[in-house]
Amino acid sequence: MPKQTVFESKRGVSRVEVRDGYSQVLFSGLPEPLVESRIAVLDVIAKAGVSIDFLKLTQSGLSFLVPDAKSEPIEAAIRSIGFRYEVLQHRAIVLAHAVNMRDEEGLIARIVGTAIRCGVQIDHIGDMHDRVLMVVSSEDVSRLQEAIAPIAAGGRP
Amino acid sequence: MKFGGTSVATPEARNSAALRVISAKEQGFSPVVVVSAIGRRGAPYATDTLIGALAEVDPPTAPRPRELDLLMSCGEVLSAVLFAHLLKSLGHPAAAMTGVQAGIQTDGNYGNARVTQVEPAGILRFLEQGDIPVVCGFQGVCASPEGWLSEITTLGRGGSDTTGSALGAALGAEAVEVFTDVDGVKSADPDFVPHAPTLRTVTYDEVAEIAHLGAKVLHPRAAEIAMNNGIPLWVKNTFTDDPGTRIVPRSDYPGKRVTGVTHTGKLVYLQFNFESSEASHVRELQSVVYEMLERYGINLFMINVSPTGLGFGVPRSQYEVVMDLMDGLVLPLDGGRPVIYLFQIGPATKEVETQERLLRPLGEQRRIVAEVTEGCTMVSVIGHEVLQQPGIFLRTLRTLHEAKVPVLQTSDSDLSVSCLVPEADMERAVRTLHDAFAGAVEP
Repeated sequence: MPKQTVFESKRGVSRVEVRDGYSQVLFSGLPEPLVESRIAVLDVIAKAGVSIDFLKLTQSGLSFLVPDAKSEPIEAAIRSIGFRYEVLQHRAIVLAHAVNMRDEEGLIARIVGTAIRCGVQIDHIGDMHDRVLMVVSSEDVSRLQEAIAPIAAGGRP
Repeated sequence: MKFGGTSVATPEARNSAALRVISAKEQGFSPVVVVSAIGRRGAPYATDTLIGALAEVDPPTAPRPRELDLLMSCGEVLSAVLFAHLLKSLGHPAAAMTGVQAGIQTDGNYGNARVTQVEPAGILRFLEQGDIPVVCGFQGVCASPEGWLSEITTLGRGGSDTTGSALGAALGAEAVEVFTDVDGVKSADPDFVPHAPTLRTVTYDEVAEIAHLGAKVLHPRAAEIAMNNGIPLWVKNTFTDDPGTRIVPRSDYPGKRVTGVTHTGKLVYLQFNFESSEASHVRELQSVVYEMLERYGINLFMINVSPTGLGFGVPRSQYEVVMDLMDGLVLPLDGGRPVIYLFQIGPATKEVETQERLLRPLGEQRRIVAEVTEGCTMVSVIGHEVLQQPGIFLRTLRTLHEAKVPVLQTSDSDLSVSCLVPEADMERAVRTLHDAFAGAVEP
């Protein structure tokens, strides 16, 4: 009897995942040369033995995520370099998973546009070939999830 | 056993490939062969050549996707028939099969169809008869509006790899072997890093990440199907006896390692600054930008959104569309203080200046200027259980800084750290990152 199997993942957002318990660390107004200041920040973090996620380069600095539990040791470490920074606690990463999402032109823009329109303050956005990652306050997670859910269901928000 | 374009490009290459099939049969296996079209770009029967023939009829008239798929499927038909005939001439009966005859069913997205199911009854019949099935890669069939399975579809980029994995899964194959003209999956592009070793073992998700981020040796969809169905996957060289790369589940190859360094994409990076706009308008401005990008099917890379702006990379092939959409775009917003926003992409064009003059009498206007960096590409470090270690970003950025490679943006996943860099620095970036992490690259 021939075997019938379902093969490739369906198009569009297959699931929405939430990773909670992060703090976002933002450095702004870093002194020139900017690249060396960014490296100095990352050096301090590495020496503190903390792993970071979601590094983004901003116009005058950088931002990244650390586990909430690590925000205190991080602050202690970064205070020493004297750069301007801010720590936003209780952040969550909302991940919209979509396998091979660049095969579907416009899908990433659709996810991001939907997220922006739902009124939640998005601190940062990132993308890989199979997911869009959005950093929001933990309080806003369910609102964002609700907004993206119709895309995951295959419809339009 | 899937053979790519270069493995079937010449009579000599086809002979080498056929001997591999015969060897497998003589070892007691029941090989099922999948072939790509003959040769790559420029070759007389390559897929690109067939598309070119259509374009010659009338360049401005876009072909219907349905007809385009029908045409594109011809290259593999020719290849499969020739290969089957060669096997027969070498004393091994073989049967050429189209994707339809092999039971490969897809969704209805012409040009980029996804495999929905495989009914391999036809293949099994030929195997039972003692014939070697030679299946056309890259193609399948979807239902017509009347509900008949009759519409030829193609599977898009890397489609023959996908055919190989899908058939392997449907047949419960011992393994899927993807034959090409390199020894296996390399830790970097050998054109940039000649000493880059062939990786002997990688996991499905590592190879999918490598493939997505630039390596052309195996399509990630093939890895995904093999992973979901637990089919062992190999990448081997048709023309050498190198053992190749074995691709396995994560549980079969644990441990911390840097897998390799890849590069991909010809991108243009746009950075919009909303600092001059009303705070109450920023969300609407961002929203409009993304709505247009969605409507016109623009693919985005390295997205960045902040309260004062947004940035993203677009493929160079789509940059002209973005320019047409946004340069000179006028957006009047109320919400508190009425402002007419005028978008400018890169240096001010004559059109933007004219728009501004025409709009002047209508009220307050402000420009949203996007800084444009053309000629960018993504360079990525791929690793397994290593990228969560403290200092990985530091090492990556410091290495590139010391090599005088500017980094415009970064993104990361569980398996990779990617940096957007100028295309002119791509080779240096790949080489220096590979050398920096070489101690951790496991052959």
